[in-house]
Amino acid sequence: MKGKGGRILLAVLAAAALAAGLSQCVFLVRHPYFRKLAAQNGISLREARKAWGKPDKVSEQIMGMVVEADRENWPKVSELAAERDLKSEIGTYYYNLANAMQGRLPDRLMDYYQPFERGLFLPVGPSSTPFQIACAGDVWFALGYMPLAERDAMLGLLFSPAHTGPRYLRRLAETNLVIGDFEAASKYLRILLNSRSDRQWAQERLPGHWSPEYQLRIAEKRNLMPQFDLVHGMDQTQLALRVLLTANATNKTALDYLLCYDLLTKDLDAFVADFNPAYTASRLYEEAILIFLAAKGGMNEENFVHYHIAPQTFQDFNRFVSIYKRDDGAARNLTAEFGKSYWYYFYFAAKNEKK
Amino acid sequence: MPLLMLVLLTLACARPYDVQPAGVGTDRPEPVFPDYRDVTIPCNIAPLNFYYTDPDGSRFTTTFTSSSVTVTRKGRDVVWKEKTWKQMLAAAAGSDIEVASSYRAAGETVRQTWTIHVSADPIDPYLTYRLIEPGFEVWDDLEIQERNLENFDTRNIADWRHAGNHCMNCHIHAQGRGDLSMFYLRGAGGGAILNRGGKLRKLALNDTTMISPTVYGEIHPAGRYGVFSNNIIIPAIHAAGGLRMEVFDRNSDLCVADFDENRLYAFPETAREDVMETFPVFSADGRYIYYCAAPYLHLPADLDRMMYALVRVPFDAETGTLGAPADTVWSAAQRGKSVCHPKASPDGRWLLFTLADYGTFPINHRECDLCLMDLATGEILDMSVVNSDKSDTYHSWSSDARWFVFASKRGDGLYGKPWFSHVSPDGTVTRPFLLPQKNPHFYDTMLRSFNVPDLGNAPVGFDAEVIETLWKDVAAEPFE
Repeated sequence: MKGKGGRILLAVLAAAALAAGLSQCVFLVRHPYFRKLAAQNGISLREARKAWGKPDKVSEQIMGMVVEADRENWPKVSELAAERDLKSEIGTYYYNLANAMQGRLPDRLMDYYQPFERGLFLPVGPSSTPFQIACAGDVWFALGYMPLAERDAMLGLLFSPAHTGPRYLRRLAETNLVIGDFEAASKYLRILLNSRSDRQWAQERLPGHWSPEYQLRIAEKRNLMPQFDLVHGMDQTQLALRVLLTANATNKTALDYLLCYDLLTKDLDAFVADFNPAYTASRLYEEAILIFLAAKGGMNEENFVHYHIAPQTFQDFNRFVSIYKRDDGAARNLTAEFGKSYWYYFYFAAKNEKK
Repeated sequence: MPLLMLVLLTLACARPYDVQPAGVGTDRPEPVFPDYRDVTIPCNIAPLNFYYTDPDGSRFTTTFTSSSVTVTRKGRDVVWKEKTWKQMLAAAAGSDIEVASSYRAAGETVRQTWTIHVSADPIDPYLTYRLIEPGFEVWDDLEIQERNLENFDTRNIADWRHAGNHCMNCHIHAQGRGDLSMFYLRGAGGGAILNRGGKLRKLALNDTTMISPTVYGEIHPAGRYGVFSNNIIIPAIHAAGGLRMEVFDRNSDLCVADFDENRLYAFPETAREDVMETFPVFSADGRYIYYCAAPYLHLPADLDRMMYALVRVPFDAETGTLGAPADTVWSAAQRGKSVCHPKASPDGRWLLFTLADYGTFPINHRECDLCLMDLATGEILDMSVVNSDKSDTYHSWSSDARWFVFASKRGDGLYGKPWFSHVSPDGTVTRPFLLPQKNPHFYDTMLRSFNVPDLGNAPVGFDAEVIETLWKDVAAEPFE
């Protein structure tokens, strides 16, 4: 390696290394959430590329929502979701969750793509993708239903690229802290304590180390938990939500999820049975009630008062119905004015069975 | 040289393994893990490596003394050289190893002594188990391994890499025999993999007239028959935190497979819709079938009243048929508990089973304990030294009936691990010990359960690559 040839070779190698380093820097700048999600899964960038493929704008946006949801940074999740309507189940799932955590799920539900109930709860089963499974528990943890939050964290771990990852270990530790099963939680806390990046998180959750804020967080989660036992199927989503509401009727997030589930599945009988106007209100619910009352013959003042139907909502409904009848059920003259109403969804949204 | 310095500096600065959290209320309540204090071990077991759990401890010293050998180890982690350990075991066989430990904590010296009794009875040297995350309905990257208990050698006898990531159910030996065993490979290309005398077969153990393919079962001691349950299994979940997943049968029956004639036999007496039958096994002499039975109830509404009795029915090994009458060995109605997983000891003396408050899914029932019945007298023996406050189940016998292994979730309550106990001829059982590992921190980071640990007196004569060939290239033999 002497002489001019050697110097040229060294220069070429140095330039290649510099280019590779530069390329890596550009990649990290362009795809910060890809890197963060890889870290949450305990894998290198190389392993992440192998598992998830090369990131693009869409995947970066979705990964951003996943990462920010893990941090419970709901405004940021909303901001990312609003960048572009991805028309994807996971994108809607996180948009819905972020809106719910900011108390506006029903108010915003009709503003963007809704793949029926699959935008509220991601399916978990043999046909689910690993990415769906990895994300499915976030809503259950937010709602306070620890059995399914723990199940999905366990499955997220199982289907994560390296079968590990602090994202899932933290969730498993925390669900068990909420349940009060410290023997189980300690298993995960010990693993996290031996990770440089998660050591502080774990230390703050050891017994005797809880801050007043963390004590409050755990108390709030425990307050949401069911107080009695019931065995139900893994996919009985409505039942799980009703169990939560039986334990705590003021769990507004669970109530909104249940009502929106009823509405997205167009199950108005269930919606009316589940709806308690004392605990939640929204124009969305008024619109749904009007369809129900019109169909069942209950359009009277007493029901309008009971369900808090605003006069404007009633007027709009009458207008929607008159156009709908005039056009023989066609959507063309309703889209502009009513495209974001529940009435429009109820009459015109159709499931894409291929999905 | 600078590189060497850097490496040395890095090693010197490396943070020691954090053993927190530890103590009462955690999954590491004992001062040492695994807790090998006052246990009885076989004279052929691998080194019992362990560590001290006190996070504040330092200057650990442990001295082991047998009749002619003394060994001292310094440090939190007590790790043996295999040769030294074998010398210690040989010197102590049939007697005790005395252990004296000391360490500094909170300015004081903590001293402890305990004994390890080394039984002269060796244990069957092979253990098979399925490694699986405690998941729910779905699986990924399953492995069935065979571990040599005399050292730390482990090999895959079936795994996801060689079987299209299909589900596979646990491997079981017949009476601890390495040359007579089976497991299921599910999905396309699957079947029941039968290992008889080293010859492998893939069997389609299903029949359109039965409610489901075969699920739980066991091979007859003579090897010609297998007894199985057909179960329609429903997974569910408890709403109350910490109870986790529940599994129950919507329907279940029994059948017998004749491996020589490729025939499946169902029986009207066990095909009744008002009675559920499951977990069938043969008696040691093969003349009876033990199984669990319960009256049909509306599930899951009545799940907490679903209690299975232990039943025995004669079996005719000439014709492959059931005799009569069925005899209730352990009454669920009278005792208010549900029996699962009966296992007869190969010497015919004992029957080991698990008791849960209800149902057929003991692995997730914390209250689930092992129960030992003396088949000569019907007496139930004291197992309090074996059982824990978490699920203790999925047991199997060694071929000489002196040892049994079981999966226990003691500690974290989530991950099953293999524990071993000795049974003396008078039925005295000993404090169990955990399967030793080369790295004493192995279980700290282990995120999979050891499912259905099963003892074998010899290695099974196949591995994952052989199973791959069977999966890909061999059609499952039909049964009628």
